[in-house]
Amino acid sequence: MTTPDPGGPTPSGLVGPGERPERPDTLRSVIRTIGEVLMTAGLVVLLFVVYEVYVTDLVSAGKQREATTALDDRWKSDPAAAPEDPERVERFQGLAEGSGFAKMYVPAFGTDYSFTIIEGTTEKTLEIGPGHYTGTAYPGEPGNFAVAGHRVGKGAPFNDVDLLNSCDAIVVETHYSWFVYRVLPKSEEVAGWAAGKGADPRCRGVSPLGGPYAQVVGQEIVAPSQGAVIAPVPGQLGAEASVGEQATLMTLTTCHPRFSDRERLIVHAVMVQQWAKDPAKPGETPPELKETS
Amino acid sequence: MYGWIWRHLPGPTAVRVVTAVVLVLGVVALLMFVVFPWVEPKLPFNQVTTQ
Repeated sequence: MTTPDPGGPTPSGLVGPGERPERPDTLRSVIRTIGEVLMTAGLVVLLFVVYEVYVTDLVSAGKQREATTALDDRWKSDPAAAPEDPERVERFQGLAEGSGFAKMYVPAFGTDYSFTIIEGTTEKTLEIGPGHYTGTAYPGEPGNFAVAGHRVGKGAPFNDVDLLNSCDAIVVETHYSWFVYRVLPKSEEVAGWAAGKGADPRCRGVSPLGGPYAQVVGQEIVAPSQGAVIAPVPGQLGAEASVGEQATLMTLTTCHPRFSDRERLIVHAVMVQQWAKDPAKPGETPPELKETS
Repeated sequence: MYGWIWRHLPGPTAVRVVTAVVLVLGVVALLMFVVFPWVEPKLPFNQVTTQ
């Protein structure tokens, strides 16, 4: 970067008459260097935004693809290598951190919205895709199947999670089953649910949960320290529902507001439907996957 | 700073331009693949889990 030298003494009051030109030249080059450093810093910050929003997406897309391929390979029944489980029961014990074990679909986000859920919630794991909080329930199990995902960059699986409405389906596919979770009524919808939105045929099975779950709503914004949102009874660490009233929940967590980690956006959903995969029809998908509007 | 670098690049203008472009790309790559991945977890805007 060079500026044309106008030659002769600099105008303005910087240089008095009769002064030698060396001093103003030094001053000028110091100021110019400061300017160049500041502009460079600005460019570096811009470049960081590009990195965060686009480059990490590319890297994560590759990792997500690899995880999905690995999971598909595992699911594909290769009778010689891994004999088909005759009982067709899900087994999640001993899952290694960073390995995929289920896929999630949100039809409201489009038919192409599909992510392989990875075990664990470390930074490395979340770069691959949505991560399952170790120690929380697995898909279909009573308790709280809790999943964290990035909202900006790194594939941004939970970019639009704030747009989920009550009764929107979150479909989780495992080796042998499909589990359909639906977002619980939001806090402003709880009153008058049965007469209002609850009458929608899509909302069958979704209603404000009673008993120990009375405080659990479809969407909430909490402080990062409120780890209790992923507890079996969300919001109440250590609380346990009696076996009869234990709900099968799914919880999504991401950062809030976007581009900030001041708070966390939490979405709670309840399981309303379960489909066993028919070994005779491998490509069959549940009807909830077509709810794309 | 940039003027100083330009004056110290060897060769005729065409060669200098090529060298300058390579330098810029090198710095960008260094930022993208080394500096940014290192600094990113330390910044307060992409933590998605609760404690």
